[in-house]
Amino acid sequence: MSAELEDPDQETDQIPAPLTLSGLTKRYGDVTANDDVTFDVERGEIFGYLGPNGAGKTTTIRLLLGLIKPTAGTASVLGADIRDRRALTEAKANIGYLPDTLGFEERLTGRQALDYFARMRGDERRDELLELFHPPLDKRIETYSHGNRRMLGIIQAFMHDPELAILDEPTSGLDPLKQDRMHVFLEEERDAGKTIFFSSHILSEVQRVCDRVGIIRDGALVDLEDIEALLRRSGKRVWVQLAEPVDEAGFRTPEMIDIETVDRSIRFTYTGEYNALLEQLGRYELSDIEIGDPKLDDVFKHYYGDTAVTE
Amino acid sequence: MTAILRNESGKLLRGTLTLTGLLVFLSGFFLLVFPSIQEEATLLEEVYPEYILALLGVEELHTIEGFVGGYIFPFMWVFIGGIYFAYVTAGMIAGDIRSRRMDLILSNPVSRESVVLQKMAALWVPLLGLISGFVAVLLVGVWGLGESIDLTALVMVHALGVPYLLVCSGIGIVCSVVFDRTESAQATAPGLVFLLWLVDGLSEMNPEFEWIGDLTPSRYYDPTAILVHGEYALLDAGVLLVAFLALVGLAAGLFIRRDI
Repeated sequence: MSAELEDPDQETDQIPAPLTLSGLTKRYGDVTANDDVTFDVERGEIFGYLGPNGAGKTTTIRLLLGLIKPTAGTASVLGADIRDRRALTEAKANIGYLPDTLGFEERLTGRQALDYFARMRGDERRDELLELFHPPLDKRIETYSHGNRRMLGIIQAFMHDPELAILDEPTSGLDPLKQDRMHVFLEEERDAGKTIFFSSHILSEVQRVCDRVGIIRDGALVDLEDIEALLRRSGKRVWVQLAEPVDEAGFRTPEMIDIETVDRSIRFTYTGEYNALLEQLGRYELSDIEIGDPKLDDVFKHYYGDTAVTE
Repeated sequence: MTAILRNESGKLLRGTLTLTGLLVFLSGFFLLVFPSIQEEATLLEEVYPEYILALLGVEELHTIEGFVGGYIFPFMWVFIGGIYFAYVTAGMIAGDIRSRRMDLILSNPVSRESVVLQKMAALWVPLLGLISGFVAVLLVGVWGLGESIDLTALVMVHALGVPYLLVCSGIGIVCSVVFDRTESAQATAPGLVFLLWLVDGLSEMNPEFEWIGDLTPSRYYDPTAILVHGEYALLDAGVLLVAFLALVGLAAGLFIRRDI
């Protein structure tokens, strides 16, 4: 149609990546919420956008949806430049969006809310999704728990069978079983050729589900080569209470870092094989134990030092 | 694409019923006391200082037309109606942004202009409610009092009153896109409408400042002239409609440009 399309440099047969961010920057006065963020998300992959709370994940997502405007740089979403309002509005017919804070019409029932969105973009997959996630559709949304809200959000994000799903902390508020169900669902979508972009502040979730990961810290992307090392070193947060006081030097192994001992309690981050950890712990009589994911902030602090915090 | 219009219309239903009910009740009460006012009307017109009468647009108070046009409409339609329309529209955009509902609305293939227009279009609900309530209570009231009122004038006093309410809602929607806080928008818009109403009345008292009143919407809607004199100021209604469209255009333009 236009002259640009005939440009010989343009690879016309190659479909552009569903998401392309180039130098995306958003400043609020002196605060830089997104600083020169550049990456692509390819068709048919699950891309994890990882960062501690307040790192700028939601800002990126709201920029991609045209809710806020970039200070510099741009991005394209399903081929539409985010600065081109009309093109972006049209592209939204093929985008599913799950915001971090779900602002539903509280007075509506879940079913009425879905009907409302269906009128704007269709709902061919609603029934299928309702078999996986079942919020109480006939109750008013104002009575919903966090988990039910999130489930309703997931259904509205996928019910029109979008090519691209942009999900902001999609599993927060869901119980572990539903989280697993969501992860399996996302993998099935990916296998069906859909593109999933999701943000999370939980390392293990991103490690488990995502094909590729981008990490954002203080508004800027962490270099991609650092990510592998960071994920490797993240480990598990372990807390044990022993039946008797024990000598820390004898207890510790080289895989335990950030070790802290208070009386009979020992807390540390474990970066080695899980079986070796269980073997080591098995040598002691434990009165209590807790193994969980480390906070991403702690991982960063450990990996990069305290610089950003004290700045 | 009328999903938003449909949803907004539903949201306005309860408020419309409350407002209409309240105004019908008040108007009914006013009409009940009309016979006693009628007797005292001449006295009242002498007792009240002229500026109060001018402020209220009172003329020919002892006739039913003068009473409806000078008492019921200025208070119920111009004052309360105007404030209600400004208040309701002031919450339309600001409220949705604040509660993050706007994120979900704008994740649909719908433009921001369309959001503003559909929300404004939902004002058909309070307009229809208000008009039916008023026509009903006035017809019943006038009949009950054994009086009669010119039907054309009755239709026109409502028809020409619509652009006035629309301008008030235009002020509301501009406030709604300008302010970040719903509370600020919903305090400023009715406040402005009230202020403009006051300026209109006060400016009439001093010929030197009368021109200021030309900037207020209530100057372009005169229920007394319609009911008592049968003067239908179509041009004035046109001015109000143009102002309304300009305000909606301004609101849409600002909304497109802002971050939410």
